Amino acid sequence: MVAHLVCILLLVVFYILQSAVFSRIVLISGTTDLILLFLVAWALQERVRNTWIWTIVAGFLISLVSAMPFYAPLIAYIGVVAISKLVQSRVWRIPILAMFIVTLLGTFFQHLVYILALQINGAPVAWLESFDLIILPSVLLNLIFSLPIYAVVNDLVGRIYPIEVEL
Amino acid sequence: MKFLNSKNIQTIVLVVVVSGLLFLALSGYLTPVFNLSLNPLISLQSWLSVRYLSARDFLTTPREVTQLQEQNASLESRVTQLQTQLIEMEELLGEAQVCFALLEFGRTNPQYDYTAATVIGREISPFLQYIIIDKGTQDGIFYGMPVVTQQGLVGRIDAVIANAARVKLITDSTSLVNVRLQSADVEAQLLGSLTGDLSLDMLPLEQNVEPGDVVLTSGLGGNYPPNIFIGQVLSTQRRENALFQTASVQPIVDFTSINAVLVVNNFSAVDISPLIPEQ
Repeated sequence: MVAHLVCILLLVVFYILQSAVFSRIVLISGTTDLILLFLVAWALQERVRNTWIWTIVAGFLISLVSAMPFYAPLIAYIGVVAISKLVQSRVWRIPILAMFIVTLLGTFFQHLVYILALQINGAPVAWLESFDLIILPSVLLNLIFSLPIYAVVNDLVGRIYPIEVEL
Repeated sequence: MKFLNSKNIQTIVLVVVVSGLLFLALSGYLTPVFNLSLNPLISLQSWLSVRYLSARDFLTTPREVTQLQEQNASLESRVTQLQTQLIEMEELLGEAQVCFALLEFGRTNPQYDYTAATVIGREISPFLQYIIIDKGTQDGIFYGMPVVTQQGLVGRIDAVIANAARVKLITDSTSLVNVRLQSADVEAQLLGSLTGDLSLDMLPLEQNVEPGDVVLTSGLGGNYPPNIFIGQVLSTQRRENALFQTASVQPIVDFTSINAVLVVNNFSAVDISPLIPEQ
């Protein structure tokens, strides 16, 4: 129950931070995505359960507030968490490395979904321009912010799910 | 000869000597002698004075340091208070300047009713150029209303809830605004882009468009009121075999630092899509 409360609280806090602050921190035309970083860091925690529920909740939340087509953030976040789970089972000994790998792959996947969704809706989005001006700067920003987000989430998970010691 | 006794002679000699010394002193002949005799005295006095002052400082300084530290702490506290007040005043001044500018815009365009709103967020996706404002249907904001600042056109309401609304900026890649060039009196379409740059399209090739030409809304299409300032032409591009020329536009509004906007209340966007024949 505490985990659910913390998770919804974190989602709201990260959304507010993202919308009010981090969307204004622009590198060329790219921005960081705190919700994505939070979901990746949350999904990479071994002790965390019900990751998928919160991924869908986050997807719906962002779909409601974003001007993106309704399905795009949902698909993007589900895909990113799927990548997290896939990588977690293979790079489980070095979670920081897993965080970087998933952030890199997840950002590419998310922007791929966004571009396709915008093109389906008729927006004139050029692939090369998007890659140069938005995707690469966003990847760099996400990689920069992934470490502090991972530290925060890791610390919180440690408090919510303390390690059980056998006596 | 009784007058010349020994006592009187002594007195006379003494008077003569004193008078002579006075004469020599007043005429400056004794200055080297005075210097020679006073220098050791002055040196001694200086030495003594320095030692005394040092001793006095040694005995009294600790108390003064404590006092100075107290005074310093008090002054630092005061400086901090004043700095805080200054920052608050500067913030209030900035807000007041924005409000005055918006009010001035309202005065110069009295045909419209405005609702002032604060920008509280931006679109999460970097592919889209939207802002979120703190006024919604409760404040009389509805879908399609134009949004301006004291400088010029910002965009239009794209989605609205009770106490917030989302504004699609004219720099968004899906944005299209019908405009006219004031100097050339020619109409064109203003397009946004992924990077937030603005460009003019559908400019007739025969039209001479110069950098610096003012771009205003034309009012065609019914989405925006006419004659709202947008920006100036930066440069024009003519492609070979193209039917129209294009131009880059420098917007007057700095879209990266919008803090407050005005929503035009008494303008209803007209949906002309049913009138456009299907192709």
